[in-house]
Amino acid sequence: MASPTSTPEATPAHRAKMRAENVNFFYGSFQALHNINIEFRENQVTALIGPSGCGKSTFLRNLNRINETLRGTRLEGQILLDGEDIMQEDVTTIRRRVGMVFQRPNPFPKSIFENIIYGPKINGMVKGNASEIVESSLRRAALWDEVKDKLHESAYALSGGQQQRLCIARGLAVNPDVLLLDEPCSALDPIATAKIEDLLFTLKEQCTIVIVTHSMQQAARVADQTGFFLLGKLIEFDKTDIIFKNPAKRETEDYITGRFG
Amino acid sequence: MTFRNKRRTAVNNVMLSLTGVFAFLTVTILILILGYLVYNGVTSLNVAFFTKLPVGPGQAGGGIANAIIGSVLVVAVASLFGLPIGFLSGVYLAEFGAGTKFAYVVRYTADLLNGVPSIVIGIFAWTVVVKPMHHYSAFAGSIALSLMLIPITARSTEQFLLEVPRAMREGALALGASKWKAIATVIVPAARKGILTGMILGVARISGESAPLLFTALGNQYWCRGLMDQTSTLPVMIYKLATSPYDDWHQQAWAAGLILLGLVLIANITARVVLTRGASVPKG
Repeated sequence: MASPTSTPEATPAHRAKMRAENVNFFYGSFQALHNINIEFRENQVTALIGPSGCGKSTFLRNLNRINETLRGTRLEGQILLDGEDIMQEDVTTIRRRVGMVFQRPNPFPKSIFENIIYGPKINGMVKGNASEIVESSLRRAALWDEVKDKLHESAYALSGGQQQRLCIARGLAVNPDVLLLDEPCSALDPIATAKIEDLLFTLKEQCTIVIVTHSMQQAARVADQTGFFLLGKLIEFDKTDIIFKNPAKRETEDYITGRFG
Repeated sequence: MTFRNKRRTAVNNVMLSLTGVFAFLTVTILILILGYLVYNGVTSLNVAFFTKLPVGPGQAGGGIANAIIGSVLVVAVASLFGLPIGFLSGVYLAEFGAGTKFAYVVRYTADLLNGVPSIVIGIFAWTVVVKPMHHYSAFAGSIALSLMLIPITARSTEQFLLEVPRAMREGALALGASKWKAIATVIVPAARKGILTGMILGVARISGESAPLLFTALGNQYWCRGLMDQTSTLPVMIYKLATSPYDDWHQQAWAAGLILLGLVLIANITARVVLTRGASVPKG
């Protein structure tokens, strides 16, 4: 048990979709991530938890290479998607296949319809079926019934929770293999949060989900696997049940019982 | 109330009055200028003033139509050069050049260019356009004005692009947009209103410049026959009318000033309407 990666038992139905191998990450000379090894299983929800500044968001942002847009960052090690190194692939293709939902809802200053169709359009996926794409994406994000009569109104007319589901629908519109969620409920009230959590249960049938959350209750509710980050290291990674009921590491137990952080 | 609190309240009241008085002073000066301009200029305004060529001193009738047309022509051509160049430079500064030495130099140069006295811009345009072509022209005036418009547009475009939240850029990139695609389809549209406002204010600013036109567009008693002909413009016309020894020309200078102010005012109001209309982009 020297390795921090205590991989949960593999079941044939849930093969590893994405995998990080010996990942180190630097902001300038500051090392934010230390030797991360983890894998994300197909059609499962994996939660990444840990105190603020522990590197969980930083790690997530490497999975779609969005960290590259920040100056002075450097990644070591490998991140594999279906066994292929994502650093060797075209970055726009990776980002199409690995979608991301951000901490605060960030709809574009366009109509609801234009927000959804934006991704399919720039990826050349629209072939006269724009309306179908918009409807099915909104349905998958459980937002269709609320907005079907105002598709051409500004996305800013929606509530915060609706805007966040719009962002999820926008991400789903390009049919990603993996969906990354970076504290998606931190700006939302409990009811809007519950709706998004419900959504994750149906979404995981269509893609692999990785969610960063600062709420341990949320991780316990939605995740099949949970990884605990502390000071840029992955301390423990296991089935959610085990992490919360019978963690192997002292640090994990201290964190989930609220003894620090 | 303790002494300390009394003192605080007193200081507060003094500062409030002081700033209020100076704010009032600023507005008063503006209103005085406007009022004086209207008072002196409005009597000379009539249809002929907008449609006729100038006539000699002491003659009735006559107008400054050639100066109005000339100004519109010179400013339009200047905008045709200045706005696209300034806009694209602004996009570079905000989106591609962040942190690079080259962008630093460009930004610094633009600020310097903004501060160059406009008469110097005029001399430069005379040297590089008028002298080689051996004649004054509306075109030379446009070049001079566009040299002023480029840095204004570049810096304001840059400012408004930088105000677009980072989250919105990342949102577009995360959907598989290339950087240029994200800029063209999300970031620039999000900053559209601010960029347009900056452009309109820039054009309004150069419309009032006389110094760069003095020895480029020069002036013309008659209609300007094309871009390569010398032309009368409102600011230079005002200068000539006002420095003449004739009283009726002085009246006309006021009226011409009123027209110029009216044009700039229209541009300003348009800019405000553009800026406030519709939903705006949330900050943060």
